[in-house]
This record gives sequence, C-alpha cells and structure tokens, in this order.
Amino acid sequence: MYETRSSSWRRKPAALLLLACLATAPAAALEVGDIAPTFDAPRVSGEGTLSLEALRGKVVFVDFWASWCAPCQVSMPQLDALRKEFPPDRFVLVGVNVDRDPALARNLLERRSIGYPSASDPEGRLPARFGLETMPTAYLIDPDGVIRYVHRGFRKGDIETLRDEIRDLLADRE
Amino acid sequence: MRWAWILGLSAAFVAGCATGVRPWERDQLSRPEMAWEVDALEAAHRSHIHFSKEGSLPGGEAGGGGCGCN
Repeated sequence: MYETRSSSWRRKPAALLLLACLATAPAAALEVGDIAPTFDAPRVSGEGTLSLEALRGKVVFVDFWASWCAPCQVSMPQLDALRKEFPPDRFVLVGVNVDRDPALARNLLERRSIGYPSASDPEGRLPARFGLETMPTAYLIDPDGVIRYVHRGFRKGDIETLRDEIRDLLADRE
Repeated sequence: MRWAWILGLSAAFVAGCATGVRPWERDQLSRPEMAWEVDALEAAHRSHIHFSKEGSLPGGEAGGGGCGCN
C-alpha cells in the first residue's frame, strides 16, 4: 500500500511538467481539409456581431489582419476589389482584426475605405483556434465549412492566385 | 524526492516562457521604436560610409563582397 502511494507521489512532478507543457503548447495550424472553427464575434464597427456559422452555404474567405501589419494593409484594398468580382449570394469576404485597440482597426478601415465587414478579436482567441503561423493569413472555406485553401502572407501577384482559387471553388460548387 | 518536486515546479514555472510571441501578438514589436535602426536616413548614411570604407558592395550586409579576403 505504502509502495503504491510512494510511487504515485514520485510521478507527480513529471505529470505536472507534462501538464505545463501541454497547457503552453500552441494549437496546431489548420490546414486544407480541416473544418473551420465557427465564431460569433463583435464587428469592428461596433454594430452587432459577425457569425461564420450564419454564412454556411456560401464560399467564405476569412482574412486575419491587423493595423500594424504592413502586408495586411497592402492586401486589404485588393481583397475589397476582388470580392466585388463574385456574386454576393455565393461568396462572402470577412476580416478578423486582432488589434488590441479596435479604434486602430476602425481608423484603418475608414482611411482605406474598406467595404467588407470585420470581426474584432482583441484577445486573439480566434487566431489561436485557427493556429495562425503568420500575419496575414487567409482561409478559403467551402459552403460546408471545410477549409479549401490557406494563404499565408501577402506578396505581389498573390491576388491572382486568390482569384483563381475562389473561381475554382465557386465553379466546383456550381 | 524534494528535489524532484523543486525541479518539476521550476520547470512548470518556466514552461510559460517557452511559448514565444505569437504572430498576432507582434504589435508591440512592430512599433517604430522597436526597430534595430530607429532613423532610416541615418542607417542608410551609416551603411553607405561602411561599404565605402570596405571598398566592396554590399559591405555592410553580406560577406564575400569581392575582396577575396573572406
């Protein structure tokens, strides 16, 4: 009896360490074929919430951005123009802003005249759930909620790749 | 036994430092005052003097600038 209790106590520091490592381990990055986590987050504009679940049945492009992220600022006007090329009843583009101060995000959206809606996540819960590896990262999600394409970073010419991916997925679901 | 506990607790305590800065938490790092060179003009000027004195291009940024000495 004593022996069992003693060995159990001996294992506790190792278990504690294992728990600490698990608790601090970053979530695995979501890849093509994974189900996109649903969310219902307040809009950057302050008017209501933005729900990913409510957009099921449409192709959704989710773009994670921040006002301090230079490539995000390059990509956003191009994405805003791109979304207008596709029928709004089949394709929706939404942003997820991770600024700690939503006022910075509002300011940028007004300055750049960005028309698509963005959810505000100042605590970074959504990027943690998606397992973001870089900023910006965008996910192309099919009408069933499955991730069909992941785009990390934003470089010159990337908008062409995104256009092709969206067009292919819409054609595939016609 | 006591040492195992101390080691386990210490390791658990410092494990929190092993996560690093996540991509969406880099706002503080992207502030201008966090740059290696705060003044871009001064940095360019210093770099120009550096490669002029080195006699090779790019003297400040890469080895093997053509002098055959590295």
